Amino acid sequence: MASKTKILNLYKALLRESQKFSTYNFRSYAVRRIRDAFRDNRNITDSELINNRISEARKNLDLIKRQALVSQMYQTDKLVIERIPRT
Amino acid sequence: MSALVKNIRSLSKSSSYLRCFSVRPLTVAANKLRSAPKHTPNQSLFLTTTQRLVLPHERSYSSKPPLSLKLIADRVILVLQLYDKVNPEKLKLESHFINDLGLDSLDHVEVIMAIEDEFGFEIPDVDAEKLLRPADIVRYVADKEDIYE
Repeated sequence: MASKTKILNLYKALLRESQKFSTYNFRSYAVRRIRDAFRDNRNITDSELINNRISEARKNLDLIKRQALVSQMYQTDKLVIERIPRT
Repeated sequence: MSALVKNIRSLSKSSSYLRCFSVRPLTVAANKLRSAPKHTPNQSLFLTTTQRLVLPHERSYSSKPPLSLKLIADRVILVLQLYDKVNPEKLKLESHFINDLGLDSLDHVEVIMAIEDEFGFEIPDVDAEKLLRPADIVRYVADKEDIYE
């Protein structure tokens, strides 16, 4: 049974890594997907299922790290909605 | 004779330097004083924006403008108000995130991340667990930045 702090650490690491996507679409999808997935699985009690989910999250964390790095290497122009208006 | 002329020249030069050093800060300060009363209705918002935006006249040369306890509290409250699950009417410095504001532990992690982004330093998980009220966050940030008044 993984501890609560471990899961919260994983949650924070996933969110922090997915903020590094340079593409707006991937970034907002990753953040939304992580938030929804953790809230969907908040009530599961089966310890085996929990461990499966945690290992899945670890795999996805590695994937996000790789893909965020790749997306930083091939940057495109920012979308119109990302531009900060000049005051 | 020529030495005297040189001396006078150098004096006038230095006085002109002195003049441009002394007058400009004064006018900047006067402008600030003049513009300040306009913003009194939402002064807390005005203060937080001046903290973030460096005005063109006053270059801070990579040092941050000084913080005070009230400024930190205003910025923490602003960040919390912008978080979608917090009800801004219930929000007070002494309200408990989980008991009073109805956040869960996942929301709490997100709040701490928003505070990290706002103040530009990382909060270790051991400390983050203990920051359960806005007042705790204000004190933690103040300790980190060495502010005690």
